[in-house]
Amino acid sequence: MATESNQIDNSFFAVVGRGTVLFFEHLGRYSSSIWWMLSHAHNAKEYSRNIFSQMNQVGISSIPIVLFVSMFIGMVSAVQSAYQLFDWIPKSVVGSFVIKSLMLELVPLISAIVLAGKVGATITAEMGTMRVTEQIDALDALAFDSISFLITPRVLAGTIMFPILIIFGSFIGVVGGLVGAILATDVPAEAYIYGIKNTFEVYDAFIGILKATVFGFTITSCACYMGYYAQGGSEGVGRATMNTVVVSCLSVVVMDFIIASVFT
Amino acid sequence: MIRLENIHKKFGEQEVHKGITFTARDRETIVILGKSGGGKSVLLKMIIGLIKPDIGTIEVDGKDVSKMTFPELQKLRFKFGFLFQNAALFDSMSVGENIALALERHSNYTKDEVIDRVEYALNVVGLENSAHKMPSQLSGGMKKRVGLARAVVLTPKYMLYDEPTTGLDMETADGINLLINELKNTIGMTSIAVTHDIHSAFLIGDRFTIFDKGKVRMTGTKEEILNSNDEEIRKYIQSEIETKG
Repeated sequence: MATESNQIDNSFFAVVGRGTVLFFEHLGRYSSSIWWMLSHAHNAKEYSRNIFSQMNQVGISSIPIVLFVSMFIGMVSAVQSAYQLFDWIPKSVVGSFVIKSLMLELVPLISAIVLAGKVGATITAEMGTMRVTEQIDALDALAFDSISFLITPRVLAGTIMFPILIIFGSFIGVVGGLVGAILATDVPAEAYIYGIKNTFEVYDAFIGILKATVFGFTITSCACYMGYYAQGGSEGVGRATMNTVVVSCLSVVVMDFIIASVFT
Repeated sequence: MIRLENIHKKFGEQEVHKGITFTARDRETIVILGKSGGGKSVLLKMIIGLIKPDIGTIEVDGKDVSKMTFPELQKLRFKFGFLFQNAALFDSMSVGENIALALERHSNYTKDEVIDRVEYALNVVGLENSAHKMPSQLSGGMKKRVGLARAVVLTPKYMLYDEPTTGLDMETADGINLLINELKNTIGMTSIAVTHDIHSAFLIGDRFTIFDKGKVRMTGTKEEILNSNDEEIRKYIQSEIETKG
């Protein structure tokens, strides 16, 4: 029979207190993993073996979904902006609106949320399974630096490949906007293209690429952390995978706001 | 020599070790016996520094493992082979790649030499021509053999076995036990095995340590264990023998 001292206190302050402690525990462990990864970055022998396969898994295999999503984001943006135009506003504004919103916000953000599900969940499930089946312990036992061997190549691959995906995505998004404008609005192709040419700024592309780089790092490092420290068998791996998607999405929108506030 | 002195370890509220002390002498196989969930596997992970004890010292060749830096720990782990309970083969790599991984990382062998060493290791464990297979294509016993090949390919000084025969049928388990004895005789390793399979323990062990409620209940040879006057040990041995039939 449980004594009173063994019972869990479920009062408001106790729950908030436990949640706060848990949050800082995770934050501390995450930071320490990232610091380990950065401070052992010179040890390329550990991670160079996996870097290209991870770039393929994180980047190349995500091209179709990013292009598909970007195409439709572009089409919807064109249709929505044309719908909001008053008659006296030049039609070329649609192109201007589409390129700004795609490069600065929509393609990086929505692609990141989609990739948090695809890439993040895959990484956590893979590494979580390795953890609960003792494969990570086996790596350590074989005198490998498991963080450098497993986490570094995945985070590097995400940080390098996300911007490349976003560049492709933004380009296809603009093409999608053109298709959307032609198919579903009365905006002429010439006006749309004129708007694009007239509004394009390299700085906007830089912001989009910066966001993609930060999102790539955030999603892959969060996914690696969740998988690396997963516990509790297959149920624990499932929970870690869900946490990856939730925490990655929340982190991405927060980072999005910070970058937007600082750089635009 | 491996020496554990007064090891205490808690996970949350659960205290799994309450002052464990024992020594594995050079070239002997010591088997740790005890009920499941008694922290036996944790102890093996402590020896190579994967888990740190709350209190107590673990000495390998006279050096305290818990005070080692990461590079020192890596050097220490290089001396060890570890057979995990479910072999812990890397899913994404073939059998050959699993065994070659440590060779490629820790030795100066050429590619051809690595291939030869992998084939030799697979021959030793009776899995010739299996280098191309993936772990998912192997049975439990075959996985254990590959795990063993991977653990001994760098001819370690010490060998740690975590439940080497659990989940295997009698015939396959005896094959693994035979292999463990062969490796001990040919390489001359000091080994610590953790098991609750008393039949296997008596086949591979020189001395035995029985854990009970987080403490060492008794350490001795097979004869000393079987002739113990301790009622709890007699009951434990009897129940394990009956379970195994």
